[in-house]
Amino acid sequence: MLTVHDLTKIYANRFDTQAGGVREASFDLPDGTFFTLLGPSGCGKTTTLRCVAGLERPDQGVIAVGDRVLFDASQRIAVPLNERGIGMVFQSYAIWPHMTVFENIAFPLRVAKGRTPPREAIERDVEQALSTVGLSGYGDRPATRLSGGQQQRVALARAIVHRPKLLLLDEPLSNLDAALREEMRIELRRLQQQIGVTTIYVTHDQSEALAMSDRIAVMEKGRIVQMGDPREIYFRPANVFVASFIGAANLLTGVCAEAAAPGSEGAVRLPDGATFRCLFPAGGTAGQAATVSVRPESIALVSEGALLRGEVTATSFLGGSVRYDVQVGDTVVRVVGGAERMVASGTPVGMSFEASSAVVVG
Amino acid sequence: MSGALTWVRQDMRRVIAALVGIVLAVLMLPPLWILLQDSVTTTNAIGDVTGFTAGHFAKLFTDKDALRSIWNSLVFAGGSTVLSLVAGGVLAWLVERTNAPFKILAYLATIVSLGTPYILHVIAWLFLLGKVGPLNDIYRSVTGGTDSLFNVNSMAGMILIEGFLWSPLVFLLLGSTFRAANADMEEAARMSGATVLQTLRRVSLPLAMPAILALALFVFIRAIGGFEVPALVGMPGRIYVLTTDVYEATIVVPPDLGYAAAFSVVMVLIVAVLLYFYSRLSKNAEKYHSVTGKGFRPRPFDLGKGRWIAGAMIVANFCVVLLLPMITLLWMALLPFLRSFSLAALPMLSLKNFRTVFTAPGYVELATNSLLVAAAAATFIMAITALAGWIAARRGPGGWLLDQLATLSLVFPGICLGVAVMEVYLRVPLPIYGSLWIIAIAYVIRFMPYGMRYVYSGVLQLHHELEEAAGVAGASSLTTLRRIVAPLLSPAIVAGWLFIFLVANKELAIAVLLASPGSQVIAVSIFDQWVNGQGGELAAFGLIWTVLMTAIACLFFVQGRRGGTDVFGN
Repeated sequence: MLTVHDLTKIYANRFDTQAGGVREASFDLPDGTFFTLLGPSGCGKTTTLRCVAGLERPDQGVIAVGDRVLFDASQRIAVPLNERGIGMVFQSYAIWPHMTVFENIAFPLRVAKGRTPPREAIERDVEQALSTVGLSGYGDRPATRLSGGQQQRVALARAIVHRPKLLLLDEPLSNLDAALREEMRIELRRLQQQIGVTTIYVTHDQSEALAMSDRIAVMEKGRIVQMGDPREIYFRPANVFVASFIGAANLLTGVCAEAAAPGSEGAVRLPDGATFRCLFPAGGTAGQAATVSVRPESIALVSEGALLRGEVTATSFLGGSVRYDVQVGDTVVRVVGGAERMVASGTPVGMSFEASSAVVVG
Repeated sequence: MSGALTWVRQDMRRVIAALVGIVLAVLMLPPLWILLQDSVTTTNAIGDVTGFTAGHFAKLFTDKDALRSIWNSLVFAGGSTVLSLVAGGVLAWLVERTNAPFKILAYLATIVSLGTPYILHVIAWLFLLGKVGPLNDIYRSVTGGTDSLFNVNSMAGMILIEGFLWSPLVFLLLGSTFRAANADMEEAARMSGATVLQTLRRVSLPLAMPAILALALFVFIRAIGGFEVPALVGMPGRIYVLTTDVYEATIVVPPDLGYAAAFSVVMVLIVAVLLYFYSRLSKNAEKYHSVTGKGFRPRPFDLGKGRWIAGAMIVANFCVVLLLPMITLLWMALLPFLRSFSLAALPMLSLKNFRTVFTAPGYVELATNSLLVAAAAATFIMAITALAGWIAARRGPGGWLLDQLATLSLVFPGICLGVAVMEVYLRVPLPIYGSLWIIAIAYVIRFMPYGMRYVYSGVLQLHHELEEAAGVAGASSLTTLRRIVAPLLSPAIVAGWLFIFLVANKELAIAVLLASPGSQVIAVSIFDQWVNGQGGELAAFGLIWTVLMTAIACLFFVQGRRGGTDVFGN
């Protein structure tokens, strides 16, 4: 169980008023959780990770693994980073070029506090780590003679060889090409489940986050703005920022036409008069402004029972699907439809969606 | 007619390359040729070759003194290399990678030492460690005896002084190595459970090793060719190295130029072999370049309580490299004659020496001469290397040849180049010998490689598509050079100019054989005054000069940080 409570680390920034860092971040992770910190660059996700690692010293807050407190500002506890027993994969992999693959991976075992384990134990553990990441037999290679994907695997093996309680991954896939990234995404997730280590993963790529995580925390300007499982984050965005950062959400702005209790359905009326039912996670009173998020793939093009009407202005055939831009009043609604039929540009269309897939986000 | 014109325009780069190549060849080749020729021939009084001989080399390799000089050179260079690497390297690591206090002092010492002629440092140290200096003074007052603790005119004294002369350069170059190092590598080791010391020993040091070895070789080469310390510290103690042997053979009457040339050829060969290994090592250092991350500002190592020990080391270095020598020079400048630090001497302090410097004829002219010669050499070098470096870096016509020609003089220790240039221009029927021009020419030959390095690495930093885009847009290669390359390259050119200007005003060895009474430069004049025992005036003048040069060194430092070119392109 990893506990992070009220974690704050603020960087003074000379260039603009917006200071970087992280503010009052809190989360609890049960053992074995794959947890992702997701957000645009500068949102504080890497700072959070580096605070947990011990690479940065937070201004305040508590970090604990189980009952072991790693950092507590109020009690002036700060375990040095080399005694935290955490595994980490760096964005650059940080494979030491002057060592072989074997020596890279054996390093955490050799420098372990207390007695260095016997040679056979080191060999056994390194071999096991190598086979876990699918690099059996690569031990004797110089570290400079590895491809990007292999370096990535060595970095991972080095991070797990001493069986850490916590694994930190700092954008580990961002230096790989697209095809390899896809493959490693599945591989990483499989590995994490196999060894069952609690993992914090930092990324700005929402599809990575959605595909791999048990839980996701979306960060903006140093704060965690929403935390939940991937489906929740995707289908129930808590605010406009989350809705637009995760996937290409359509944001429709109108007023509340029918009051709703928190978590129940109400109705929203757009300026052009179109009215539809939708979910009010925080509740709503009649007449208040409301922004509704609807996912492009939740919208169907229909000839009858349309909630919205507009005209197709652009069509792109994507193979498995077709993407339409539909002009509704002065906003463009994006719709993803099946590839079996195409609607030509300039055609007037009607659109419809389930009330449960339209969420008020602000 | 228009066809021919088009050809010229299209092949402007060829024309430029040919012209630059001719200039470089005329400058760089004759000194090497004349050294080789002199070393195997006999000449009559007016310098005509009268016959071939192997006698110079035979004398060199059978003469016990000559062999001892070779051995002394190796010990001297080796010892001072180790000392400067340890002192400068530890300082660089502490300043760049830890949270030690007082870092600013390390930069201060470095900037000032960039501007100070080596010979001033040497003189200050000679006094500090000398017979009447404070070190032996304190020793005598403690023991009550009359003997000295330390004889500065010894190999140990030479190594000590030369080592501290080079440590600021080591600090600068290793500092940039440590700064550029991928901090992830060290953080990964710490995350794996390693302590600071384990990380240093098993990751930081091995990673920096290629750069450290290359730098060691570089300092060794410079120390082999070093002249100030062997001349001022070694010669009075009858300890000769190769450079002082060359000097002695040249200034005796009649000069034994064949013997000096043979010595020079030996040194040039040693240096050439070392340079070959140096270039291989530098290439090898690039092997360790790795994928870089997002460049999160690297967090310095927390030394805990040890940071105060580290701070004390930085302060101690500051005292040794800057404070003590400067105080010594000030002491010397304020006294009418040289004597040890003592309260009894206080009433004698006066500004008389400083007044003399400003009023006596000669000093102002000397300063103007030095500045003019250095500026002229720097300007000419940067103009030539801007073209040569661009063509070489872009693998233009004859680029490889231009590169070789421009960096040829790296094999010359300063004193050997002095001998060679003297010989060449004695035979040229132009009134160059005995004028300031000959010093300017020697500077140009000597520092051409530095200009080349600045421009070359500057061009490599420019994406070649910037030039190709200009070509596609319709610009000729001359226009591209003028409108695209030159403006983008100007920070590197300015940095190179300032660097050459600074080192030209520092070095004694090149000019010492070329200066004549009417055409002096600073370092030579200080040398002569020291030999003549005019310590006070030279200290006063040296201090004023140091202030001036430090101001220029500051400019250079700021330019280096701003222009993105590494400080010291070699």
